Amino acid sequence: MSSKLPLLISGLFLACLTLTAQEKSTVKFGNVTEKDFATKVYPIDSNANAVVIADIGHSTIEGNTKGWFSLVYKHYKRVHILNKNGYDVANISISLYADGNAEEELNKLKAVTYNLENGKVVETKLDVKSSVFKDKISKNRVVKKFTFPNVKEGSIIEYEYTITSDFLQNLQPWEFQGAYPRLWSEYNLSLPEFLGYVFLTQGYKRYDINDKKSHMEGFTIIDSRDVGASERYRFNANVADNRWVIKNVPALKEESFTSTIDNHIAKIEFQLSEYRQPLTYRNIMGSWPKLANDLMEAEFFGKPVTKDNGWLKDVVKPLTEGVTGNKSKAQKIYNYVRDNFTCTDHSDLFVDQTLKNLLKSKSGTVSEINLLLTAMLKYADIDADPVILSTRSNGMTYAMYPLITQYNYVIARAVVDGKAIYLDASEPRLGFGHLPVRCYNGHARIINKAAEPIELLSDSLMERKTTTVFVINDDKGNIVGSMIQTPGYYESLSLRDRIKEKGKDQLVTDIKKAFGHEMIVSNFVVDSLDKYEEVLGIKYDFDFTEEKEDIIYLNPMFGEGHKENPFKSAERSYPVEMPYGFDETYTLQMDIPTGYVVDELPQSMVVKLNEENEGMFEYRVSQSGSGISFRSRIRISRAYFLPEEYEMLREFFNLVVKKQAEQIVFKKKK
Amino acid sequence: MIKKIIAGCCFVVATLAVAAGDGEYAVSKIPAALLKDANAVKRMEKISFEIVNTGEAILRKKYAITILNENGDRQAGFVEYYDKLHEIKNIEGILYSAEGKELKKLKNKQIIDATGSDDNNLIDDNRRKFHHFFHKTYPYTVQYEVEIKYNGTLFFPVWLPREDEEYSVQQSSISIISDASYTVRYRVNNYSGDPVVTTDKNDKILTWEIKDLPAIKDEYASPNWFDINTAIFFGPTEFEIEKYKGNMQTWQDFGKFVHALRQGKDNLPANIKQTVHQLADNIADPKGKIAKLYEYMQQNTRYISIQLGIGGWQPFDATYVATKAYGDCKALTNYMYSLLKEAGINSYYTLVRAGRNAKKIMADFPSSQFNHVILCVPLQKDTVWLECTSQTMPAGYLGDFTCDRYVLLVDENGGKLVRTPKYGMNENLQVRHVKAVLDEDATLQLTSETTYGGLQQDQYHGLINGLSKDKVKEYLHEQLDFATYDVNSFDYKETKSTMPAVEEKLDITVSNYATITGKRLFIVPNTMTRTYRRLTPDENRKYDLELSFEYKDVDTVEITLPAGYTAESIPQDVSLTSQFGKYNCSVKLDGNKLRYYRSIEHYGGTYPAKDYAALVKFYDAMYKADRNKVVLVKNEQTKGF
Repeated sequence: MSSKLPLLISGLFLACLTLTAQEKSTVKFGNVTEKDFATKVYPIDSNANAVVIADIGHSTIEGNTKGWFSLVYKHYKRVHILNKNGYDVANISISLYADGNAEEELNKLKAVTYNLENGKVVETKLDVKSSVFKDKISKNRVVKKFTFPNVKEGSIIEYEYTITSDFLQNLQPWEFQGAYPRLWSEYNLSLPEFLGYVFLTQGYKRYDINDKKSHMEGFTIIDSRDVGASERYRFNANVADNRWVIKNVPALKEESFTSTIDNHIAKIEFQLSEYRQPLTYRNIMGSWPKLANDLMEAEFFGKPVTKDNGWLKDVVKPLTEGVTGNKSKAQKIYNYVRDNFTCTDHSDLFVDQTLKNLLKSKSGTVSEINLLLTAMLKYADIDADPVILSTRSNGMTYAMYPLITQYNYVIARAVVDGKAIYLDASEPRLGFGHLPVRCYNGHARIINKAAEPIELLSDSLMERKTTTVFVINDDKGNIVGSMIQTPGYYESLSLRDRIKEKGKDQLVTDIKKAFGHEMIVSNFVVDSLDKYEEVLGIKYDFDFTEEKEDIIYLNPMFGEGHKENPFKSAERSYPVEMPYGFDETYTLQMDIPTGYVVDELPQSMVVKLNEENEGMFEYRVSQSGSGISFRSRIRISRAYFLPEEYEMLREFFNLVVKKQAEQIVFKKKK
Repeated sequence: MIKKIIAGCCFVVATLAVAAGDGEYAVSKIPAALLKDANAVKRMEKISFEIVNTGEAILRKKYAITILNENGDRQAGFVEYYDKLHEIKNIEGILYSAEGKELKKLKNKQIIDATGSDDNNLIDDNRRKFHHFFHKTYPYTVQYEVEIKYNGTLFFPVWLPREDEEYSVQQSSISIISDASYTVRYRVNNYSGDPVVTTDKNDKILTWEIKDLPAIKDEYASPNWFDINTAIFFGPTEFEIEKYKGNMQTWQDFGKFVHALRQGKDNLPANIKQTVHQLADNIADPKGKIAKLYEYMQQNTRYISIQLGIGGWQPFDATYVATKAYGDCKALTNYMYSLLKEAGINSYYTLVRAGRNAKKIMADFPSSQFNHVILCVPLQKDTVWLECTSQTMPAGYLGDFTCDRYVLLVDENGGKLVRTPKYGMNENLQVRHVKAVLDEDATLQLTSETTYGGLQQDQYHGLINGLSKDKVKEYLHEQLDFATYDVNSFDYKETKSTMPAVEEKLDITVSNYATITGKRLFIVPNTMTRTYRRLTPDENRKYDLELSFEYKDVDTVEITLPAGYTAESIPQDVSLTSQFGKYNCSVKLDGNKLRYYRSIEHYGGTYPAKDYAALVKFYDAMYKADRNKVVLVKNEQTKGF
């Protein structure tokens, strides 16, 4: 896992590799000449539909009239659209946040399209008044949208705007990388020394310029919120001017088996950490114990869990009465919450409704449901705490910093009989003590006094599947068999969902579809369907009524083999992030068909994925008397692989697919 | 009369079975026949649509749905859309237990109000309100009541009591209320009998009602849901929307209204007029002029959708498109119309219901059934169709988004229904030649040359015009049906015409294409064209089969095998003939060359339900034949004795 860490080095520690810090982008608003249209194919990406010529952001802080400070973010961007498939860059959305009196305001928007017509540059300006639309997404969020006029193949578009924000904690992050290649991506950040921010950087590209200077600046704050004369404060402070530039950033590429592409973008983010002199010193970011303590005290998180929830008596009592042992009690409570509440949002950290109200509305977000679960466990005197985490698709978290905005999910941890059990009651058929795959994303944090970190690693998950097939010759000389299969836990979970939705018969239909309708399936049984903690047990008998030829070719995998290489693409840029490791064992015991002899058996083999034996493939077949024994096993013990290891995985599965396609050949006795 | 008495008896029995004190929505009051195959039961529904005047109407709905199990939960939610032309006035909701006891009432603050915009539009004014009780103790019942004010009467509601599969209906009714002098038009699907007509002062009320519709399951390739269910479509005679008035009694009338919306919107700026003449005046052939101007339009505009209020139905004028260089289907079609007009070519702004397998236009019921606009250019001998939102399609070709259906041509004289071209088996043709060499490691070096025609080229047209070369490569690396392979090179050539074609050349290395076990070699001679369809047999098939896509594939494959093998098992020729088409394949070993031939002709049309079993068999047989293996044995080495 240590291989992930290089991404998470804080910008604070990055060596200053400034070589050409004075170098400036030559691009200026309005300064578009014929020469700028000359390039039709850019060396950075000969296939690009559009190329970002320059993307430049500036963030500064200034005093405002609300008695505090505002963030001022200026964004400038120029794009050369090379063909029709690049037209989507001309559609711009700017998201703005508001909360009560505090708001983000968009102004100084300018947008111009340039076309080369008869050798001359022709400008078409965006009519800001009539062509910028507003879409209200929610109470707090508005999106302003516009599209550039007169866009054609070869157009250059250019825009700039300013957002003034009252939310100091929303210092605009910067993504150096995006859907199109960028020739020049630059972010400037001027921070007065009285505001402390932590810098978080990630990605695989080094900065071409990483520069830091400082200057003195006067700040004026006016407080005109009260009636009467407004108050005015003035002071000077030292301001640090940071400048980061990456040149020639390639376009972002999506690949399969990545938790989220966000983990791989070159970007820099900021977190407000403290107020310093001349402001009254205040630690904003604090420490994990402080954050955990604040969360436990907050009405929107921990308070509803820790306070005296007398009203829970009516719910908890009937569940736990007469039940002995904390584990059984915890399980009763968990089952109740899981079975009676609907999760409406699987990405949420705080509660919007009271837990008491949740009990009535019966629907809530994942945080609401699991905080109710925690409160109920506590009410039953079970040691329980909430745990916050970031789901796989939400991206990785920094264990080092208590950055609440990185988290989007809450589960519960109960300690019973000295053992920690992690619980998520937001999934309808998830068993007690199991978590959905999305939760296994590394660092998670227990929200209690000690604020202990825990690691939920996909490498720790193992999907174990076993399949056993018996084939015999019946009295009539027909080949009949039986199949017993226990899928892994997560496969069981999805099969349970499928059965719930489509009925058990659907599985029989699925099997028949795989084998052909001529196969007769009987005595179909699914065990443990309602025992959500356990894996399923699937059993059935089958009967082939096909005509028997002089030679019978039989694949001993009976349709269970891998027919496709999961790693199809020939190249790989990012690590492979699978949801879990797996171990699949398939065994077959069969009678040689009556009247036949074995003409050919596949070769047995055992291969290891690598020297560390983190994966292996075993394929063994043997004949003893009138029977054939066969066994195929694939084990991959890790879920995370580096790009360098991709070719190894691809070759491994190439071999698996090849081997599992091999056939046993029977010939009629002469 | 007998019917009535029997019904009365049932009623008495039913009442006796119900425990005293149960509410009207008690689950015990649902007839057993309605529980079969059902996840939800509509207990009652009362819809009234009141035409206040030609410019305003009010829709009132009250309905109750019993949710029997978890799969029925999606029927329990309330959702209504609104925009500048529709106001949601009032929403009420109540949750009932299985016994029909009221559990709770909806509170207004629990209604979620959200944007209803979809990503296809830059901006629109669609918003939606929704609510869900999220009850989890089954069964339960929800009752909702809502009132929606229609500002404009271009659209009337549709009555569809059984809205989904696995969903039964105990009772549902709709009443249309209008001034006695106003004629409401309607068209009936699967409803026998006439509406009950009553009057109230000056108002005339027409009411339809249905009871006890059992749950049904949707079936593969079944007709449109509206065609197999009870449904009534309503339409206005006189109507009004914003400042525009119209009449919908005939297609001609409706066309007049559509025309009025775009009247005077075909003026081009002087510079564009000049460009039109520069481009077109020197071309004598009208088809050439059309193609040239269409290409100009494609090069100089793009599709941007802005739908606000009447703007959902009225195009932006030609000058707007000329200056902004963008527009939606209406604006771009109107612009193209204006370009052609300037060049002296008359064309028709044409309404269409777009979409693959879109619901068919009811030709006998003039009403607003369309969702897209294209341009029709009639010439002396034939007609050129133009899809103006595409920047890449060839002039004259429509694709499966708009082909083979009724469309409404519109001009100052009104509207006229005509059909767009149909692409049949001979147009939708795929011809593929594969040449390959298999080496001793079972690696296959393969080159293929394929020509895709008609609707079969749509996907490839999209691929090569919509993706960069790198992305096409990525696509090919993911999508071909080989276990592990590399695409060494690829090339596409497009022939743009009214019947377009794409030629594809691929050079691929497939690892372990064949299976070599000791002395035997197993190989599937059909390398690249396999069917994937397998249907589930259904002895109780109820509805007709509608197969719309007709096509033909022809494949020849030649595989050179490693030396020293002789055939042990060669699949027999397969020749299938059914009402759905023909399939043939054969394979021969010729020295060390394996030669495979395959052809399929798949017909389209409507077939009776009883033919379904034959379709299952036809697809199964093809599926199997496409995967047949050739088995070869290594010639024995000269033995040592």
